[in-house]
Amino acid sequence: MIAILIDGIVQGLQLSLMAVGITLIFGLGGVLNLAQGQFAVVGGIVAALCIKAGVPALAACALGILGAGLLGLVVDRTLLIPAYRCVGEERLLLGLLITLGLSFVVNGFLDYKYSDVSLGLRLATPSFDVAGITIRTASMAVAAIAIVAFALLFAFLKTTLLGKVIRSIIQNEVGAELCGINPARIRTVIVVLSAMMAGLGGIAQGLFSSLGPEMGNGLTDYALIVAVVGGVRSINGTLAAGVLLGIINAFASYYVGAYLTLIILLGTAVFTILLRPAGLFASHP
Amino acid sequence: MSVLLATQEIEVGYGDMPVVRGVSLEVRQGEAVAVIGPNGAGKTTLFKAIAGVLAPRGGRILFEDARIDGLRHYELVKRGVVYVPAERELFPQMSVLENIELGAYTNYKSRAERLKFVLRVFPRLEERKRQMAGTLSGGEQQMLAVGRGLMAKPKILLLDEPSTGLSPHFVREMYRQLARLKAEGLTILLAEQQIPHALAFSERAYVLENGEIRLFGPSTELLGNPEIQRAYLGMA
Amino acid sequence: MNTNRYLAEYVTLFTVVVVLALVPLGLGGSAYYLRLGTMMLIYMIYTVAFNIIFGHTRQLFLCVGALAGCSAYISVVLVMRMSLSPWASIPVGIVSAAVLGGVFSYVAVRRGLGVIFVGIVTLVSSMIFGNLILGLRAWTNGETGIETRGLRPDALAPGLTSYYVILGVLMLSLVFYHLLMRSRAGTAFRAIADDEFAAELAGIDVTMYKVLAATVGSALIGAAGAVYAYYSGYINPTVYGLVSVDIAVLVTLLLGGMGTLLGPVIGSVLFAVLDEVVRPLGGLNVLVYGVLMIILVITFRHGLVAMLRKLTKVRIP
Repeated sequence: MIAILIDGIVQGLQLSLMAVGITLIFGLGGVLNLAQGQFAVVGGIVAALCIKAGVPALAACALGILGAGLLGLVVDRTLLIPAYRCVGEERLLLGLLITLGLSFVVNGFLDYKYSDVSLGLRLATPSFDVAGITIRTASMAVAAIAIVAFALLFAFLKTTLLGKVIRSIIQNEVGAELCGINPARIRTVIVVLSAMMAGLGGIAQGLFSSLGPEMGNGLTDYALIVAVVGGVRSINGTLAAGVLLGIINAFASYYVGAYLTLIILLGTAVFTILLRPAGLFASHP
Repeated sequence: MSVLLATQEIEVGYGDMPVVRGVSLEVRQGEAVAVIGPNGAGKTTLFKAIAGVLAPRGGRILFEDARIDGLRHYELVKRGVVYVPAERELFPQMSVLENIELGAYTNYKSRAERLKFVLRVFPRLEERKRQMAGTLSGGEQQMLAVGRGLMAKPKILLLDEPSTGLSPHFVREMYRQLARLKAEGLTILLAEQQIPHALAFSERAYVLENGEIRLFGPSTELLGNPEIQRAYLGMA
Repeated sequence: MNTNRYLAEYVTLFTVVVVLALVPLGLGGSAYYLRLGTMMLIYMIYTVAFNIIFGHTRQLFLCVGALAGCSAYISVVLVMRMSLSPWASIPVGIVSAAVLGGVFSYVAVRRGLGVIFVGIVTLVSSMIFGNLILGLRAWTNGETGIETRGLRPDALAPGLTSYYVILGVLMLSLVFYHLLMRSRAGTAFRAIADDEFAAELAGIDVTMYKVLAATVGSALIGAAGAVYAYYSGYINPTVYGLVSVDIAVLVTLLLGGMGTLLGPVIGSVLFAVLDEVVRPLGGLNVLVYGVLMIILVITFRHGLVAMLRKLTKVRIP
């Protein structure tokens, strides 16, 4: 029972890692990034390729994350410009369609060129026992990574100037401009940051089980659900929603099987959106 | 006194609709100038154009003899043009202190000194330092908006309807502080519906109706103008 | 009645039916190309429907495949288990799709969901549908799918007859579209697409018209989906998935032009050609669609019909 709970929390944390990027880009850039999962896959594949080339695992992962960030930079400075030129719903729709197209481009490319590449990281000690429960080391590693990442993110947003600027733009873009802040430049920072978080999520997936080029869309779908349930503008909400959905997923899988679990999860998501479109935990980022 | 800010025949509109037509005005160094007029006259649109939030369709805007029309607002803040809109546009889930400090974004490292100054001007904000901006009263939010604007060390302050939604007590308090600031050399351009305060506070005023300037001149003269009295001051 | 007003529409409809009717003759008897042509017609119907739902009332229904699949599976299962005749079960499928689409729309409008949220909810619903089909294995054979070859009526077996039957369905939908757009509903749609809030203020019952558009569009989708199930001889969840249907329909409509009569038609023809050209590339076709989508959405936002209108200065419907 505890083992399932732990599994659920860990999976949830990993989902939150993926989802927080969507929340950030939506809250700040006003764009729904449907290519988020692809950033994760790119990160994972870059890391896998580096490992194949003989680079030590840790460095390879770092390179993977940087690779994802680089892709995010390129996308923001090129593809998303037409979306940024619009405002409000127009921007949302255009951004959604552009990123959807991008997800196909990346997915198609990776599937074609690297369909045999996958990221699977194995740790020295596969598992250890605590109080009679066997815990996978990988689970702990993923949990640790996610917790540290989120802690850093929260600290960054709360204490640094850039973090405050980001929060200010999410809360009121006009107000931020009144202070002399250039929202466009900050948007780029956010997209790169989100892409790197996704890359980290991809690495975590590689630790937890394995990551292949075909997984991009699935990851995006889950990240989307977590982000929307948690509140597309609330980072706290995303974290909470991810863990919650992860726990539900773990318990439901154990008791009722894969398909019904998915339906329960998806149904929960739809139910939440209809009930509280702003998100379950929407109040502040 | 040199002209700090001037608009020359500017035209601003939304889509196909022109809202401001051929407006020329000027604000001299150290002056307080008011733009008055009924609801829908185009005051806010005019201010948004001057501040760089809206792009004007025609005409020029000059600040310190350089053209600023077409520049985005965040570029103007560094030059010393600070705009406080009627909607205030605060950051509701950040503290009063965080809101104020972000106002000094263009000069963040040296914000401490400026902060002291602003908190002296608005002691009420010092009391509420750690409170979330969204929980403040209307009057306090207005003070916060102005205080945040002051943090950028403006050469000219554009205030759009600063007295909207404020109790008479707050309105008096605010104009008192503005007078203090003006005495210390701040140039102010404000748009107001509360005519008596605006005309008492400013040296000169422009009357904007239907997007065009109908009258302008020294405020004292406008106060005595029978048309103004009838239309805006409710006197027979 | 001033027929000249709709002369362009009548000419277009006539040209479309003539050209499409003549297509099989130009195919040299190739069964493969005939099949492609028939598939193209099916996707045209999907796109006409999506045009009504999204092109005209901005409801981003990313569940076209799911609605089609719903209708298809219900119809096929009824025939399989209850020995119903396909011609009797297809209407059941159509009605189910229509009801589902209408309910989605109603709930979305009542909750005030914006375009994006409608997209997300319908996207998630598509995923639920996919998993339902997989999970209800006892009824649907799950991943393995169902062979419908033995269940289908002769008229829908691959061949010239089925091509013309489906062409007939397409023409019915196009004519219906035309009539719908020139009715009061059409004016309401235009107002809603332009500015929903203003339309509401002007006294238009936005809820009713949006639900109407969604219901009617979903019915069309259901019709095409059910007919396709019998024609193709085999169905499984992938056939009605996001990538197979929704993406194709979205790209097609963008390519052809939203809110126009000819848009879905030209878009589908182009998309079918593109699909064939890209087929030998194997896995890379997804990449090509992605690139196409991005280019379309950024530069070509109004589609071919709009471009043709500009070039020829003719008001193409």
